[in-house]
Order: sequence, then structure tokens, then C-alpha cells
Amino acid sequence: MRTRTKNEKRDAFLVVHPLDDLPEEKRDVSALGRMPMTLSVRLSLIALRVYLILMIGLVVYHFLGLAQAFKRVAH
Amino acid sequence: MPASNLKNLTIQIPDQTTAPRGWAVRSLWARNLVTFLMVFGPGLIVMEADNDAGAVSTYVQAGAQYGTHLLWVLLILLPMTYFVQEMVVRLGIATGQGHAAMIYQRFGKWWGLFSLSDLLLVNFLTLVTEFAAIALALSKLGVDPRFGVPLSAVALTLLVATGSYRRWERIVVALCLLDTTWLAVAWCLRPPVNEIIRSSLIPSVPQSGITASFVFLIIAIVGTTIAPWQLFFQQSCVADKRLRFSDLRWARLDTLAGAVFTIVVAACMEIAGNASKMRALAFIDPAQMAVDIRAFAGVGVETAILLLMLNAAVLGTTAISLSSAWAYAEVRGWPHSLQLPLRDASGFYLVYLVCVALAAAIVLIPRAPLQLIILSVQVLAGVMLPSAIIFLQLLLNDRELLGPEFANKSWNNWINWTIIMVLFVLSLILAAQVVAPELFPQG
Repeated sequence: MRTRTKNEKRDAFLVVHPLDDLPEEKRDVSALGRMPMTLSVRLSLIALRVYLILMIGLVVYHFLGLAQAFKRVAH
Repeated sequence: MPASNLKNLTIQIPDQTTAPRGWAVRSLWARNLVTFLMVFGPGLIVMEADNDAGAVSTYVQAGAQYGTHLLWVLLILLPMTYFVQEMVVRLGIATGQGHAAMIYQRFGKWWGLFSLSDLLLVNFLTLVTEFAAIALALSKLGVDPRFGVPLSAVALTLLVATGSYRRWERIVVALCLLDTTWLAVAWCLRPPVNEIIRSSLIPSVPQSGITASFVFLIIAIVGTTIAPWQLFFQQSCVADKRLRFSDLRWARLDTLAGAVFTIVVAACMEIAGNASKMRALAFIDPAQMAVDIRAFAGVGVETAILLLMLNAAVLGTTAISLSSAWAYAEVRGWPHSLQLPLRDASGFYLVYLVCVALAAAIVLIPRAPLQLIILSVQVLAGVMLPSAIIFLQLLLNDRELLGPEFANKSWNNWINWTIIMVLFVLSLILAAQVVAPELFPQG
């Protein structure tokens, strides 16, 4: 918070580091509870989760392929 | 502030009865400069720490395999990384809370748990690669990793355990600024300036065409330039630093400066890789490349690259471990601030310590294919990023929470959905590459 203080001779600005400043009022998340979500948003998030799990599996599979892990197992 | 928004505010009673101490300045520009310098930090750190060991490997490999052909990707990533992180800054300043806490509170435990577990998984794997890079760089510098890696882990723990956010921030900002040495390294390697400018401005593909490894590398570059941990880190960092509403524009400038600096440094890494390609050196990893280019660039450049690799890994480790520690402690409701001494935030510091110690210990045991692990972790981060940004996007459109002042405007949403679509397309290409590799010419 920057406070402009009137000096007897001239104007001055007091620049305060955020950690030294007085705490500020913030938006209160806890008072709001959960965000209302429509069914379509909820289903989209679930689809996203399934997609993500599949993609993680694919990356692991690709990694093992590049590391030639499958060839080693076959041997 | 409109009265309708007042119900969303928590009134925190100031714990200081005396007037805050600060700097008295007489001119407006001096006020702006000093304010910016006080706010400066989280933006630079989150961006530059993203140029971690994995990023060094990925960018250098991009240069070593494809010369300057992938520089245009970096230029596209500059606004993308800024816009994503700017949203986090707004959210952090408006709520004074971290990203993990926000997801838990607004989406519930189920989604919060998924989000946290994704973060902790990718972060831990990334930390392993950071320590692997530390071990690699130290061994090339003639230091035994069995001695150097534990020492690095201890130093990294001491770095955060001073009970002063400011002290940690100053040290880390100094480490970030050390990366300007990459500019000198790139210059010493006599870069083809005209080719660099052309490749940066005009998208091009190498003569071998769009091969599987080319696409894999592009996704890895995206994954390393915009990583999920950055969202969590910067919001927690902004909250820990207690940035105020009036600091928003300076925090944005900090983030923009960090983004520009990071992309310039990343380009220098690609240029260093390009120097090895121009001399037909086979690329194994950045440490070996540093050793190989000594023949024509000198021992100074070799040592500089190895030390910069070490610096990148140290920066990455402290930022990534902190993002895990902040996120976990926020969700558990533990005290979580670098301003707190060890005894007052023991859980928070313990998570940091466990992350660092476990990753360091794993590196000392096996001899894994480092370059492959690094590249795969970057790809994994790239795959997970769209889902992390979707939560961010939903939170930034939460007008009930943020009000019109801090919520996304329609142009923000256009940009962000475009970014999300690009990231999804890249991850789908990756999927296609794995499921049907015959679609992509091997090269």
C-alpha cells in the first residue's frame, strides 16, 4: 500500500513492502462453498479425467517403448 | 468497492498497531520504480525456474537435432505462458490463497484430490530429473555425485528454512539472473544471426519433415515452457508475499519480464545446441555436449554450460518442491509460509524436505536413461497441462468469487480457450503418434 503523506515542505510517497504492510481484505473463498456446476460441466470434467488417465498410460507406454523395455521382456 | 461485493470479503484485523515502515520517495516515477522492485520476484522466479534441468535438456536437444528450426515455437509460447500465469496472479492477489486450496474449496475434495495428486506425481518425477542433472553436471565438473548430490539437497533445504521469504526470494532472483550467462555462451558460439531471426519469425520444419521425434520434441518444448507446477507455485508465492490489489499491474509486469527473459534464455539454449549440430556432434545430453564443444569453444564455455545446468536444476528443485509443499500444506490446512520459522510450519517444511531428499536418494541408486526420462516427464507435463488450465479457467470465470474486477474478460476467455485447444491438439497428436506410429515418418 502506498501512502501519500504530506510533508511540511513537500509531498512524499511512502512505499511499503507487501510483507511490511497492513493485511488487506481479500475475497473470502470459504464463505462461498462449492462452485455451482451444471451437469454438462460436471460431465466434461469427468471426461477430462478419463482422458487424462488414458494419456498418462500412453505416455508411460511410449516411454517404455523408447527405452526398449518390451524387447528386454521378450528376450 | 461495490456494496454487493462486500459480502464476499473477509475482514482481517491488522496485527500491527504501528504505522508500516517503508521507503519515502519524492517523485512519481521513483514511487513506481521502488514499488515494482518490491513486488518483483514471483514472476521472474516462476518463469526462469521453468528453465530447469529438463528444459535445458529439451531446448539443447531441439537445437542439436533440428538447428534453429524450432525457435518459432518459443516465440508462440511467449504470449501463451504470460497469459496463463497472469490469470494465476489475479487469482492469488484477489483471494490471498494458493491454487490447491482454491480448487479444494470451489470444486470439492474429489476434484481437489485429483488435481493435487497430478501435481505431486509430475513434480516428483521432475525433481528426480533435476537431481539426475545435478549428478550429471557435477560428475563432468569432476565432483563425485555421491558427495555432491546430498550436499545440494542440504543446501536446497537450508535455502528455504531461514524463516524469511525475502531472503529466499533475493537468493533465488540472483540465481535467476545468473542465467544471463546463457546470452554470453550463445554469443561465444558465433550464432548464425540471420538464420536465427528468420527461424524465429517464420515457422519452418527441418528437411527430414514432420517426423515422430519432431512432434515429440515440440510437445516436450510446450510441456517444459508451460508446466502445471507453475500455476500452483506462482499463486502460492503471490499469497505468501501478500501482494495487494494495488500491486496487480506491477505483478503483471514482473510476470511479463520473467516470460520474456525466460524465452530469450531458452532461445540461447537452442542456439548452443545448434552450434553442436553445425559441427556434426552427436547429441547425448547437455553435459556431454558441453564437454564436446570444448574443442572449438574453449574450456570457459564448457564450464559455463555445466554450471548453468547446475543452476537450472537448483532453481527448478526449489520452485517445484515449494509448489508441492505449499499445495499439500494448503489442502491439509497446515501453516505454510516461508516467513514462518521451522517450528511453526513443520509440516510445510517437512513436505519440502521429503520431496528433495527422496528425489536425491533415487538419483543416487539407479542408472536410468536420463535424457529419455527428462523428455518423457516434459511430455507428461504437457499432457496434464490442459486439465490444470481448465480448472484455472473455471476459477477465473467465477464471478461470484472474483467479481467483475478480477474475473476474466471475454477476450481473456478467447485467448485461454485457444491455448487450451492448442494444448489438447498437441496431446491428441501425441496419442496418435503412440497408437498409430505409421502415420508419422520416423526420423
